[in-house]
Amino acid sequence: MTRFSLFVAVTTLAAVATARAAELPETIKQAGELRLTVNSTYAPMEYRDPSTNELVGLDIDLASEIAKRLGVKIVWSETPFAELIPSLQTRRADFIISGISDRGSRREAADFIDYLTTGPQFFVLAESAAQSATDLCGKKVGTTRSTSFPIEIEKWSKLTCEAGGRPAVQYVPGENSIDVRNQLKQGRIDAAVQGSETLPYAQQQEAGKYRVVGEPFSTGYQGIMFRKDDAALREVVTHHLAAMITDGSYKVILDKYGLGANAVRQPLMNAATQ
Amino acid sequence: MRAEPTLAAGFPDISGMTVARRARWRRWLAAAAIVVVLAAIGRAFANGQIEWSYVGRFLTAKVILEGIVNTIVMAVLAMALGIVLGVAVAIMRLSPNPVLRSVAAGYTWLFRGTPLILQLLLWFNLALVFPTIGIPGLWSGRAVDLMTPFLSALLGLGINQGAYTSEVMRAGMLSVDAGQYEAAQAIGMGRLRALRRIILPQAMRVVIPPLGNEFIGMVKATSLASVIQYPEVLHNAENIYYANSRVIELLIVAGFWYLLVVSVLTPLQMLLERRFARGSLQITR
Repeated sequence: MTRFSLFVAVTTLAAVATARAAELPETIKQAGELRLTVNSTYAPMEYRDPSTNELVGLDIDLASEIAKRLGVKIVWSETPFAELIPSLQTRRADFIISGISDRGSRREAADFIDYLTTGPQFFVLAESAAQSATDLCGKKVGTTRSTSFPIEIEKWSKLTCEAGGRPAVQYVPGENSIDVRNQLKQGRIDAAVQGSETLPYAQQQEAGKYRVVGEPFSTGYQGIMFRKDDAALREVVTHHLAAMITDGSYKVILDKYGLGANAVRQPLMNAATQ
Repeated sequence: MRAEPTLAAGFPDISGMTVARRARWRRWLAAAAIVVVLAAIGRAFANGQIEWSYVGRFLTAKVILEGIVNTIVMAVLAMALGIVLGVAVAIMRLSPNPVLRSVAAGYTWLFRGTPLILQLLLWFNLALVFPTIGIPGLWSGRAVDLMTPFLSALLGLGINQGAYTSEVMRAGMLSVDAGQYEAAQAIGMGRLRALRRIILPQAMRVVIPPLGNEFIGMVKATSLASVIQYPEVLHNAENIYYANSRVIELLIVAGFWYLLVVSVLTPLQMLLERRFARGSLQITR
């Protein structure tokens, strides 16, 4: 085989591979629609606009742009946060993009394509005495119980509070981020934890009410969740996401929500370390 | 001595024959069909995306057992509060005093007219309205220290239950014949004494079946208190699946415990019914 024919063969193979990678699974292509499920209690990632009741948010914009490039429309449905993974498993949703953190424990059920950096962030009422994160040792800290944050708080407390001879953080469960902030306002808890990507929005909604304490205390990624056996869909979505990062449309969406700093350079697969 | 009965002429003696059983093949067919359907459903559950080892492991997990104890404690206390309120409100409702009557009607209207979950959330977030609660001069404290998830759930469930129970009690009191009121009055009993000694004991017989119904409803309604962080069995099962994502497995565990509790309650209700049926001619079954 000549060098040239080898080159032709390789490029043809590569072209076929990318062509196949960019191909939607037949069932979705025929239906002409993607069925996506979100938990719409996590502004600004996904929430219902109070004035229009439209589903809006960063994830909604990203998914809509991906769907536009795929030439399909999206049929949205909603579910509690904890039902997101079952929705994927029972095929109610084709994939999940709903402010969900990529975590090792969740990869048993799914693969993640990471698209945004995130981290749990302490915050308090503006008038609180707490200045640094270690001031929260021994205090009551609340967060949404269906997320990975309770475990992260416990880990941080062990590493930072208890190892330093301080009393452990007392974790108080909440139902969702709104409930947690309500508990904070009533003084039921001394501090709260939310994903860093959601705090600018909360602070803008209730100006001057909250103050962030310290930096996000671990770093991770939000990921789009795919079924393990659905590699074709995963590849085609990743392909378009990568294109959106390259052509800048990804950055435009992130900036719209003030989260340009949380951008990733390229889509990453199962990249979070926890 | 009695004479042996003799057969009239022309009739055969059939006394020694056995009665042939009717072949009820339709029943057999229906039973077989039901067994097949149940087996198919059972097989689907066995082969579905369910890790049965998790069900077995968490069925008697400490946190689940604590949860079911909390469920029972809350159901019993909230029902007790509901019955006390229900009796009081039913008596007020049937009182000749128009103030008492309107207060009772207003209470039933308010607490029966709003969803239970909304009432629970209001009690839990009461501190947004009343930051401090207390009795002037005696004691006062932060509302959030008083309104623990336990107390919020107890007040929410109990007061809501009282509104429904008052109607059940009122129905029971109305079912007692008017002659009983008149007879009590005739022998010089006051209204309250007649209620206590004559009317309510007879009303009990009527209200036990619907109250049993309400109590079974209450056992399951406690699960709503999971949203205000009362650690009943569904709340604790959720916490486990939030961590390990074994949703259906943990729901099966919680469902098993609810069924067990309700199965134990049903015969208890029967015993109670039998006790209150003493003195009534009709045998209640």
